[in-house]
Amino acid sequence: MTSASIGAEADRPADLDLVRRLKDPALLLLPALVFLAFIYLLPLIDLIRISVSGPSWSSYFARVFAIPLYWDSLVRTMQISVTVAGLCLLFGYPTALLIHRSRGIAQALIATAIVLPYFIAILIRTYAWMVLLGRNGPVNKLLVSIGILSEPAQLLFNRGTVLLGMAAVLLPLMVLTIYSSVARLDQSLSRAAMASGAGPIAAFWRVLLPLTLPGMGAGFLLVFVAAIGFFITPTLLGGPGDQMFAMHITQQADSVTSEGFLQALGVVLLAITLAVVAVAGRFLGFEFIWGGRKLTEATPKTASPRATGTRRRTLGASAADLIGWPLLRLFGRLPASFGTWTVRLMGGLVVAILILPIIVVMIISFSSASYLTFPPPGFSFRWYEQFFSDSNWMRAFWTSLVVAAMSAAIAIVLGASAALGIVRSSIRGKSTIMLLLVSPIIVPPVVLGLSLYSLFLRFDLVGSVFGLAAAHAIGGLPIVVVILSASLQGVDSRLEQAAAVHGASSLTVFRLVTLPAIMPGLAAATFFAFLHSFDELVLTLFLSSAELKTLPLMLWGDVNYRLNPVLAVVSTLEVLLVVAGLALARPVLATSRKATTQ
Amino acid sequence: MGEPAAQRAMRSGDANVRTSPIGRLKERDAIGSRIAVRDAVKTYGSFHAVDRISIDIEPGEFITLLGPSGSGKTTLLNLVAGFQNLDSGEILVDGKPVHNVPTHKRGFGMVFQSYALFPNMTVSQNVAFPLRMAGVDRATAERRVAETLEIMRLTEHAAKSPSQMSGGQQQRVAIARAIVRRPKVVLMDEPLSALDRRLREQIQIEIRDLHQTIGSTILFVTHDQGEALTMSDRIAVLNAGRIVQIGRPLDIYRHPTDRFVASFVGESNLVEAEILQKRGSTLTLKNRAGYVFSAESRDTIDVGRATVLVRPERIAVSNEPTANSTPVNVTSAIFLGEILRIEAQMEGGEQLLIRCTDMADRPLPAVGDRLHVSWGAADCWVLA
Repeated sequence: MTSASIGAEADRPADLDLVRRLKDPALLLLPALVFLAFIYLLPLIDLIRISVSGPSWSSYFARVFAIPLYWDSLVRTMQISVTVAGLCLLFGYPTALLIHRSRGIAQALIATAIVLPYFIAILIRTYAWMVLLGRNGPVNKLLVSIGILSEPAQLLFNRGTVLLGMAAVLLPLMVLTIYSSVARLDQSLSRAAMASGAGPIAAFWRVLLPLTLPGMGAGFLLVFVAAIGFFITPTLLGGPGDQMFAMHITQQADSVTSEGFLQALGVVLLAITLAVVAVAGRFLGFEFIWGGRKLTEATPKTASPRATGTRRRTLGASAADLIGWPLLRLFGRLPASFGTWTVRLMGGLVVAILILPIIVVMIISFSSASYLTFPPPGFSFRWYEQFFSDSNWMRAFWTSLVVAAMSAAIAIVLGASAALGIVRSSIRGKSTIMLLLVSPIIVPPVVLGLSLYSLFLRFDLVGSVFGLAAAHAIGGLPIVVVILSASLQGVDSRLEQAAAVHGASSLTVFRLVTLPAIMPGLAAATFFAFLHSFDELVLTLFLSSAELKTLPLMLWGDVNYRLNPVLAVVSTLEVLLVVAGLALARPVLATSRKATTQ
Repeated sequence: MGEPAAQRAMRSGDANVRTSPIGRLKERDAIGSRIAVRDAVKTYGSFHAVDRISIDIEPGEFITLLGPSGSGKTTLLNLVAGFQNLDSGEILVDGKPVHNVPTHKRGFGMVFQSYALFPNMTVSQNVAFPLRMAGVDRATAERRVAETLEIMRLTEHAAKSPSQMSGGQQQRVAIARAIVRRPKVVLMDEPLSALDRRLREQIQIEIRDLHQTIGSTILFVTHDQGEALTMSDRIAVLNAGRIVQIGRPLDIYRHPTDRFVASFVGESNLVEAEILQKRGSTLTLKNRAGYVFSAESRDTIDVGRATVLVRPERIAVSNEPTANSTPVNVTSAIFLGEILRIEAQMEGGEQLLIRCTDMADRPLPAVGDRLHVSWGAADCWVLA
């Protein structure tokens, strides 16, 4: 070895240091963070700035709370959201149990019945309810034919339909959240309870329920937060007395005079949402947002401290002795089939509520009638012909495809890189970064749309395909990050070590070991990011122009203007798209679920 | 046997702590249930998990269901527990069919492989759970829980949550929960398989002692033949959904009925040999190496070929030829501590496994060494 080469070796540490820094996986987080900072955080900050730019910082807010219309609407929004979350919990829990307890093909069918609607656009599912409950819809026909009604009645546009529609739209979210906490339980726990003499109800009350309480809490809050920002369903299914807060923002959005006041409305909605999430995160850990597990859960809780006051304890204990335990033992006398049938009936009802509207819409799409009626007088492809021959529909369809493809590409590139960064780096504050990456899920779309609108105006992006795709990618990014970080965590690091030990460079390791392992996750993430953009309506309402119309936007126009079977055709096509996607993604969902529940 | 004994035990070592409260328990304990399984069948699609099993379990008996995974032992236990329903056949407890009795009314105790302790309850709440469900009042329940925790040496852990305890401690809590109601039947589903060897052996002995004391009928499931031999009054060996053999551990080990039991329970050499003659219950046989030996048989076969079980530890080894011995070539020799494990080839090519105790005058043979082995009629067993 010559002295020159020794010299070269001596120089290397400095180079290596730089190389090592450039290779730090934490850098992979940068693109996504820059993207979000520019298109997501900045507009939100700007929104808040405008909202406090009045004569005094609080003047716009004072107006919001002074006008009874808005205050009443806020109260109403809270009432509706709590009721919807309560309904979802009441019916979602038995459904989650039903999935957990069924086996084989029955389980697959029930799970599909829950998951499928989850991925179908809210607009389409709401439209299905309008069809189902319409004057010529099957429900009216049924009620008239069995003599409950003498003539078709107006079942739509009241509080009941708003609650029903919103609960139906949000039920899958609740069921999936609770299911993941039920499925995580050791199955022998309920067997142990039964072997210890607990009947089905006692085992449920003393063992299952306390252990799934965090899952129930997470489900309730997720549904509640989503409901607060709801816009599409209450607009279409509600009457004048059922206005929700988010609807005011879209109504005011067109008038220039309300600048500042409008932003204040958005900030109020945002603040309520964030407050709920903050309180929830305090108790459940913020991981509940993306269905992850609370990180601190592993640390054992010290057994209930004695300091809780012996008086209260004995009081509680004697109450339990007098009422609780005897009651549980009494319930133990109920036949074992009681619990089973409760679960089956309520779960069955949920499956029916989720699937029937979709089936009715699919049948109507083949109707030969010139107006919406069920059952159809005959079958034909006339509405399919009309859809595929109408240049407006076709143009919107292609626009949607292009936007969705671009949006999925943005989301997958930024999201995959961010997921690698978050899983593989040892950067500090990982959970904060993850929270930031995932937070677009919880921001009400109406608020996001409003904030983006002024950004897009400033940079002349309104009506641009790229701008719309980027805006959709804000919501696509969290989906990609959550799915891919789960699959990355599922990659056996020993495999990578084995490849490295046997001579593979880090790039080769990634290509030969890591990439194949996350490939299914990557495919699923791409599909869901695509679907997210393809279904997106609320942001599009703010950001599109007369020339740039997406499919959901056309649907939205038609739903408000005239209900005809062409909408059913679009819905059927969407259902088929989701079914195909889910069929392709099925093996992936199973593995990524396994990874997240580990 | 009273309070002073217990107090003394508290001050002295572990062994005393264990004996005294158990003694107190014994005085008021009843005998276990008689369990009869008749033609039990349970299928999953085309898979016969339990295929016409019948078994009679005596009151207070410790019976082990032993078999490889998929042999149906856990399914049979779940059927007895009531977690699953029979396709056909019946299960009788003390002469009464339990088909329509749901699990929680069967009044059994059960220990699970995964412990299955309720994570939302403390140790004492876990142990109290069956009592509360049975409607025992709080004061009595607290006393019984304290007694049971003392038996299982868990008193100082009463207020802990299960997640704060080691695997061995958790399993002792699970056992405490299973016996606190003094059930007539205790079911145990591979309760020790999650524990390390040392702890497993310790708890094996504890369970044995506990069984002697409480007198419950214990139905114990395991795939570990050593565990089954150590603990059971009787072992039922299962394979492919059927009971292949049932008997006392010594009988199962010494006189297995077929190749499966012979090779599943303990290590074995199965020597193929030709029957030369039969005199009484003693057969004279010759194997492929030309080695002529005698063997005991219960069966009536007297001509043709037979498979003979020779346990590795029953083979006598010497360096020089003896009266009736056959030469073998050593193919492997391993020193295991108190035992030498030797693999050797007979002249006909058959492989023999030999285990002999380590002795001062016996050097560890080298590969290729020639040894001389022999076995007597009492050391081998003709399989049917």
